[in-house]
Amino acid sequence: MAHTVRVATVNAPGVVVTDAGNGAYLVQHEGRLEVVFVAGSADARWAFWNGHVYRMSGDDRSPEGQHQDVASTGHAVRGGIQALTSPMPATVVKVLVRPGLKVKGGDQLIVLEAMKMELPLRAPGNATVTAVHCREGELVQPEMVLVELE
Amino acid sequence: MIQRLLIANRGEIAVRIARACAELGIESVAVFSEADALAPHVLAADRAVPLGASPAIESYLSIPKILAAARSVGADAVHPGYGFLSESAALASACEESGVTFVGPPSNVMARMGSKIEARRLVQSADVPVVPGETPDDQSNEGVGRAIDRLGFPALIKASAGGGGKGMRRVRDGRDLVAQIESARREAHAAFGNGTLYVERLLDAPHHIEIQVCADHAGRAVHLFERECSVQRRHQKVIEESPSPNLTEGLRRRMVAAALRIVEASAYRNVGTIEFLVDPPQQGHDAAFYFLEMNTRLQVEHPVTELVTGVDLVSAQLRVASGETVPWRQIELSQRGHAIEARVYAEDPANGFLPQAGRLILYHEPHMPGVRVDSGVTQGTEVGVHYDPLLAKVIAHGENRGQAIARLVHALRAFPILGIRSNVPLLLAILEHPLFATGRMHTRSLDAELPALLDRLSAAPPPFVQEAVRKATMRGSEASSSMSAGWDPWRTLSGWRP
Repeated sequence: MAHTVRVATVNAPGVVVTDAGNGAYLVQHEGRLEVVFVAGSADARWAFWNGHVYRMSGDDRSPEGQHQDVASTGHAVRGGIQALTSPMPATVVKVLVRPGLKVKGGDQLIVLEAMKMELPLRAPGNATVTAVHCREGELVQPEMVLVELE
Repeated sequence: MIQRLLIANRGEIAVRIARACAELGIESVAVFSEADALAPHVLAADRAVPLGASPAIESYLSIPKILAAARSVGADAVHPGYGFLSESAALASACEESGVTFVGPPSNVMARMGSKIEARRLVQSADVPVVPGETPDDQSNEGVGRAIDRLGFPALIKASAGGGGKGMRRVRDGRDLVAQIESARREAHAAFGNGTLYVERLLDAPHHIEIQVCADHAGRAVHLFERECSVQRRHQKVIEESPSPNLTEGLRRRMVAAALRIVEASAYRNVGTIEFLVDPPQQGHDAAFYFLEMNTRLQVEHPVTELVTGVDLVSAQLRVASGETVPWRQIELSQRGHAIEARVYAEDPANGFLPQAGRLILYHEPHMPGVRVDSGVTQGTEVGVHYDPLLAKVIAHGENRGQAIARLVHALRAFPILGIRSNVPLLLAILEHPLFATGRMHTRSLDAELPALLDRLSAAPPPFVQEAVRKATMRGSEASSSMSAGWDPWRTLSGWRP
């Protein structure tokens, strides 16, 4: 259900696709009819077929959404510094670390809350906290850097 | 009969209640937060009152705002739905004091059954067994820890004030105990406004089976049989069905009798559910059942019972609250065929079940025989971060369990939800799992099977799907720009109030 595929390079022979309107595409192939729903724009194209959902993009970004814990969804690495970001709009309910603190992989750093569920943000590995960019009660947005580790 | 009903809720259940009002000739009044100004539950009602800011604590969880809204439109009754204030004895009692009918039991009954200590005491006095557990008097981390030591590991920490898996933590040993207690307390506080914790012994492989009941002001009570809700992810029900594949006729008789004893002992009124944990029979042991808790409200999974018994539980709630008697005699009630419900959530199972926020850019509900869809969203809905991520419930009814499963699978295969991720692919993987077919899944089966189920979801799209996407992409900028332009007027209207 979480796949990134290069849509522009595919060209299946013997497949006839007809736009049936409202996002539905009728696909004829190997004597069978399939209905595929497609929606979205070039940077986030979605498809649905027979209970399967595919999210695609036209570029070479790495496959997304493979069995990650919330912990590891939002960290970007720049040099030796890791920036942990919020995976979604959420409220910070607890900040468990401060700059200078040494943390071990799996340690909870921040507890976020969204849709009434708590989402712990954990350290991806052993590191030292170099900066904390949020405080308790704050509403944070996706991609916002919350904690930096080194 | 109630004349004008304020629905103190949102989403699919508010739509469901508005529908029952329309059928009974009751005028329905929706309430809405800023995020919900154009939500389906507002469109489904006859009137609508704004509550204010989007966070639930400032809108759907605010008793003063709900009461002020009821007063402002002259509502003579309030229906709390489920979640939010549905188990708040404070709302029920505030309604009683201001002469507004609360659609549910009297506040003192709610308070009694809502308190895990009192409910257990009462249930035991009615000769119904309970799972060992307690609400520690000392609610400090140390006090809760000591209570868990007394019970022994594994144990369960729960919110004393409510259900739905919110604030619930399973503790297998003493590691991380303080963090677990604190996290459970915060979640309990956020979800129910009350951080009091309850701890109980964890049974090994129990089934969750609950009995639906309904009682009127004269104390006449009926049961509407059971629902099995054992397919749970971390105590959150995912799939529910009736009849239970795990009850013998004898066990069912004992459980409904126990449920009716609890109704009588608690002087319960209106629709409610008594939840039990059932230990299936093992060699040398009969099956045993334990009272878990009573839900003094309508349940998410009530349609399963409606389809199997052919009754309308919301209509019954409104009639009983209006002073009428229970609409059916026990002898008129029976289980016909089999019904199964799947809860469709805006969450990403492959990514730690992260709740998903965003716009539903394509959303088509399935329409087919034997399938009912209760939903609170539509194409174009912006799913926000403030509320429960339930999008819709798909409920299938069949002549037997096999047909109900086949219908539900077929319906979910024809339910495209695009723009944000949902658990539909996972629901299908569960429904098609051999273990589900046996009917023997217990409350921990899903968590155990989850890694294997998630692996099954990672197949790449077949070439013809990619070809359809390529065709859609070639239509290109024209199609996608008209799509986004089509939604822009809604975006600009988001601050609008009726």
